[in-house]
Amino acid sequence: MAQEKPATTERREGKRNSVVSRVGRFWRQYRKNRAAMVGLFLLVGVCVVALAAPIITWHPPLKSAVGGAFVPPTAGYPFGTDDLGRDIYSNVIFGARTSLMVGLLAAGMSALIGIFVGATSGYYGGKIDDLLMRTCEVFLVLPTFLLALIIVAVFGTSMNNIILAIAIVSWPRTARLLRAEFLSIKEREFVEAARVLGSKPLDIMFSEILPNAIFPVIVNASLEVATAILTEAGLSFLGAGDPSVPSWGIMLNNAQNYLRVAWWMAAFPGAVLFLTCLSLNLVGDGLNDYFNPRLKER
Amino acid sequence: MSSVFRLIARRTVQAIPLIFIVITINFAIIHMAPGDPTYILLGEAATKEYVEAMRARFGLDKPLYLRYFIYVSNVIQGDLGYSLLRAQFVSSLIVERLPATLLLIFTAMCISVLVGIFLGVTASKRPYSLRDNLATGVALFGVSTPTFWLGQMLLIALAIYAGVFPASGLVTLRIELAGLDYVLDVLHHLVLPAITLAAFHLAFITRLTRASMLEVLGQDFIITARSKGLDERAVTYRHGLRNALLPVTTYVGLSIGLLFAGAILTESVFGWPGMGTLLFDSLRLRDYPVLMGVFIFVSVMVIVSNLIVDILYGVLDPRIRSR
Repeated sequence: MAQEKPATTERREGKRNSVVSRVGRFWRQYRKNRAAMVGLFLLVGVCVVALAAPIITWHPPLKSAVGGAFVPPTAGYPFGTDDLGRDIYSNVIFGARTSLMVGLLAAGMSALIGIFVGATSGYYGGKIDDLLMRTCEVFLVLPTFLLALIIVAVFGTSMNNIILAIAIVSWPRTARLLRAEFLSIKEREFVEAARVLGSKPLDIMFSEILPNAIFPVIVNASLEVATAILTEAGLSFLGAGDPSVPSWGIMLNNAQNYLRVAWWMAAFPGAVLFLTCLSLNLVGDGLNDYFNPRLKER
Repeated sequence: MSSVFRLIARRTVQAIPLIFIVITINFAIIHMAPGDPTYILLGEAATKEYVEAMRARFGLDKPLYLRYFIYVSNVIQGDLGYSLLRAQFVSSLIVERLPATLLLIFTAMCISVLVGIFLGVTASKRPYSLRDNLATGVALFGVSTPTFWLGQMLLIALAIYAGVFPASGLVTLRIELAGLDYVLDVLHHLVLPAITLAAFHLAFITRLTRASMLEVLGQDFIITARSKGLDERAVTYRHGLRNALLPVTTYVGLSIGLLFAGAILTESVFGWPGMGTLLFDSLRLRDYPVLMGVFIFVSVMVIVSNLIVDILYGVLDPRIRSR
């Protein structure tokens, strides 16, 4: 199918537009953006820490009484211990795994739903578009954090439910973005050409239009990961977290009871949460500068 | 003027289905929940007799569509359920807590709009100057800091260690205060929660104002204004800012929902006796009727405030009216 395609603008540029050269061009430009590079280093740092968690910690997370209660930061317990004598350092490091997993899975699932809805809505238009966009509007108006909180509270505070709830309330942003891209791209000649050649709607949507419309979604995805991580932390802080895994939000919830005696219980998990979100926001800004150069002067 | 009335009527009619959708979502959650819906409606403390009584009252033996109508008509009449744990109607619990939350949200919004616009304008005057970098830096930190953690850090530093502000509550307990003293005491308690809640929105408005100002300041009519010999102040504020404020207004209107979510987190940190602590405590006690009631109530508040913003828009900008 792909071989029969006529020489459209996208085609003719041939080699110049291959994936490798596109990535190369992107990287040369991204490298020059100092803030974005700081963000990337931070993000890679958090990922490495999450992967290396068992190697760089020496107390098991979640285990009580690995030290005394409320031990301030010392060499053996770099971030101190909490009320039950758990090592905060281990929990912060292993918590990175939880946060990144929630962020990636929730944002990924939300992107998939958003892409499917946005593509359908933008491509077909008409009644389907009306219905889908009305649904999006409902989610954009409602207090979605509260909705996620109630879903998790009622259906149970498991990791699966938390990820699902975050995905359910966050997909409309992606859907709206992609729909707008689809609306302008579907009028272009290469789409018309594919249609005339008898490509099926699904082929046109996902192999012709989507590759040209995906960039705003990618930029948005990095911010969605940050939002998902913050939402999980917020839910856990309010007591709707999954207690079976180390979580920064749950640690902060616990710290709330002991702010007067143990500042370290709040300071370290929150600082790492902040750094993670900061890195994702910096990377998102960097991607945005590259893909929307018009906004760069702003 | 009649076009404004038509606008109000049309927008109001459009808002009603939204409210029904909220009630329907709530109904769906209650009935899709694992176990008996009375469990969600009544919480864990319900006795057997009470469950039976409620089954009859909510018509749980009736078919689904009838139950739905009963539920909708209850909610519309303001019956959001009854909290057994607190022995109080959910609606009266909410009304009791509402003023504190509104005070917090309103103060935080004022801070973030005033400071955010100021920082944004300052930053846009000379892009990439020291001032701009400072303002954008503050904004970047603001959008990346988790609200509740910021609150905890402020509380530890300024309330516990420095002792400058009270750590929790709305007023000093055990002291009778009246008149001005009372107001000052409340304001003193309000400072930290308001800053905490404002931080994110302040940062966002700074970024928005800066971007929007830079776009507007590059347009032709600004060059005209300058070449006319207007002084820089008039160009920035009267011509630039006035046109750059539209995205900021939109954001303020749409952020009411976010503010409520932020208020829940902030109140939980500072023990601010509003709907946030109500929700926090209810979540801990698994007091489901209160959770569901607060969700409906906040949703309706958000829908109504969006409606008001929409109408204000139409009044301010005649081009929008016909849409």
